[in-house]
Amino acid sequence: MGTDAIAGLTAGFEAPFAALGRKAGADRDAVVISWPSVPVEVVRATGFRPVFARGAATATPAADEVLEARVFPCRLRQLFEAVLTGRLDEVAAIVLPRTSDADYKGFLYLRELQRQGRIASRTPVLLFDLLQSSGDEAAAYDCGRAGDLLRRLAGLARRPVENVGLQHEISRANAARAAARRLAALRRPQPRLSGAEALTLLGAFWQLPAERYATLAAAAGDEIAARLPIAGPRVLLAGAPVDSTALSAAIESRSAVVVGEISPFGSEAAGADVSPDGDPLVALAEKYRRDAIDARSPREAIWRRLEAGLAGIDAVIVSLPADDASFGWDLPRLRLALETCGMPYAVVDGDPTAVLRREIRMRIDTVLAAAAGRCEARYG
Amino acid sequence: MADKQLESTLAAAAFQKQWFADLRRRVFDERAPYALLQADVPFELFDLLDIPAVSNQWWASLVAAKRQAPAFLDAMAADGLPAQLCRYCSLGLATTRYAGAGEAPWGGLPKPRLLCARLTCDCIHRVFSLWAEAFDTELFEIDHPGASELPPRWWEMSRHRWRELVEPHRLEFVAATLERLVSRLEEISGRRLDRGALAAQLERVNRQEEIFDAARQLIAAAPETPVRMTEQIANVMATQWVRGSDWALAHAQTFYDEIRQRVDDGVAACPGERVRLMWVGAGLWHDTDFYTAFEGSHRAVFVWSMYLAFGPDGYIRYGFDDPIEALASRTASFNEYLHNPPWAAEWIVEQARAHRIDAALVLHPTSMKAAASGRKFIERALEEAGIPVLPVEADVVDARAWDPAAARASVCEFLDERVAQ
Repeated sequence: MGTDAIAGLTAGFEAPFAALGRKAGADRDAVVISWPSVPVEVVRATGFRPVFARGAATATPAADEVLEARVFPCRLRQLFEAVLTGRLDEVAAIVLPRTSDADYKGFLYLRELQRQGRIASRTPVLLFDLLQSSGDEAAAYDCGRAGDLLRRLAGLARRPVENVGLQHEISRANAARAAARRLAALRRPQPRLSGAEALTLLGAFWQLPAERYATLAAAAGDEIAARLPIAGPRVLLAGAPVDSTALSAAIESRSAVVVGEISPFGSEAAGADVSPDGDPLVALAEKYRRDAIDARSPREAIWRRLEAGLAGIDAVIVSLPADDASFGWDLPRLRLALETCGMPYAVVDGDPTAVLRREIRMRIDTVLAAAAGRCEARYG
Repeated sequence: MADKQLESTLAAAAFQKQWFADLRRRVFDERAPYALLQADVPFELFDLLDIPAVSNQWWASLVAAKRQAPAFLDAMAADGLPAQLCRYCSLGLATTRYAGAGEAPWGGLPKPRLLCARLTCDCIHRVFSLWAEAFDTELFEIDHPGASELPPRWWEMSRHRWRELVEPHRLEFVAATLERLVSRLEEISGRRLDRGALAAQLERVNRQEEIFDAARQLIAAAPETPVRMTEQIANVMATQWVRGSDWALAHAQTFYDEIRQRVDDGVAACPGERVRLMWVGAGLWHDTDFYTAFEGSHRAVFVWSMYLAFGPDGYIRYGFDDPIEALASRTASFNEYLHNPPWAAEWIVEQARAHRIDAALVLHPTSMKAAASGRKFIERALEEAGIPVLPVEADVVDARAWDPAAARASVCEFLDERVAQ
């Protein structure tokens, strides 16, 4: 069961976006989302299935024609490539959150491409305008936007959605979160799964139906718990949140293990539960406002996660792709913190989904060699 | 640097220098509060509560124009800040955080009582929170909700139908944030905002922008442009930072009168003008001579930039029973007007037609993500309108990678090959 569960979770992470556009009529229940700052509970309550665009190494020639260089992350290039090549013509909707400026620009671009007739698809493109600043008006605004998203999706589904249906989805997703947290606990203090595997198994939370995810994650957890701990330096991935396994795999091919990443696809996939009490839209808006990790998330919120993630770590790899406008600002602060405690670190300034440049590979090798010494001293 | 052709340009520069000296005196000698603001914050609220405000963009442009930017930017790099991060918005931060690295103009920025920024692109929260830390002072953030509905030809709606231009939930959000800002400014200043005075201030801002609108029309209609783009910018921006003030209105009128006189006298910025150029993007502050470099060789003169045109189209609001709401409607969509599809492209094409533009140079900023976006739509729209486009890759405050000779050669080649003369 455990191996089947891992395979099921892996498919739940890898397959959905790649499968779009392959089979006529198969995508009508899919809502494609550009980043996990959109409440999947709302999507599911309207009868749709959330599918996430993620970064990949495949070329995006059509997208590159309309997206400026160094502005848009790989995941948005993959989304645009799929739209421009007709792969998303049958999906129910595309939703982009406001939690990064690139996603907002992506929303405006897609709407304009439709208006200009440069893409044939009339697929509704929606903005989920989630704000993460402090201030009472932002909380109220987010609640209103969550309600707006619910109404729009319900309109597309042609089905009314009542609070009870939304509360039901919240309960299911909370159960899935609990399962994800149990899986995540198997990464520390003794890592029993690799970072690449963890990102896959935790990231599947967003796309698999919640009950199925909870079942599979529990079974996978039972199998993984019986494994021997993985040896090698323990690495934290910081910087811009990763959404693919490529960087972890590259690090782990060098006998290290990634035990955490500041990413909603990895360590932060589950986060805290959505409050089951009160107005479900208020609870969802509050949860996603507080927990969403993206380029507009408050500095201190990211920093707190980073500090928590440093416990028991031997090295930090900081991913800062060319499109990053946000996370690099705290690099001096991070560097100071790491140097103060003698922690080796390296900055990966290329696309984390692509094959790493030789220079970056050498940088990682150097850091991991230093980390091995720390690891040896710590664990023998 | 090219000679100034307008007396008003010299007066504007002198005013700004004196204004900043007065500000420093008030802050240091009288311990008066001042604020450091992102350019798109409603300065009017600060002005009415007697908290003078310095614009981050103005300060950055000044540092760059004084050729001091490289030293501060080198210090940023030495501290480990990646080169891809926005230098325009962060150069001011660098003059504070790495104060010893260079010589900031006019004695440098004193400690502000408050920083305030709209959270437009992703870097703003980072830059301003780091800046607030460096000054050990407070930061007030105005979040930027996204627009879902962008009706066509925004500039035709912005003056009278501004409530239709901004979706109600966005308008309500920004107005609520501005009300919270007013409360904070009232606490700092110990004064109450007079809503009637705010309405009167906005009326004066309207008047100022109406004068600039008339100046824009003069420039567009004259057989040859009577005023260089660089001098348009110098005059407009000096007044924008103190908009609605007695000096700003008087100066706008002086600027207009001087242009009017030049038009009446048939005086051209570049006599024998053959090519009319537009500059799309923020100004190239470290090399403003670039904008006059093609007058001799090609009789090519820069006629248009967003700085003069955006005042009338972006700022004027008529019919405000609630002045905060009117301010909110202006504040809500600055970036969408200037950078994003569909609004930026259709406005720029409209402006190009009105100004009989022959060719456009479009800035490809190397580190400003917000300004870098949308330009493919703008370039395509211009080309479809029959206006050849030359992309110019540059950073507006960072001269370190800028090759003035190569850039000028590239423009000359473009003019020779793509622009009919």
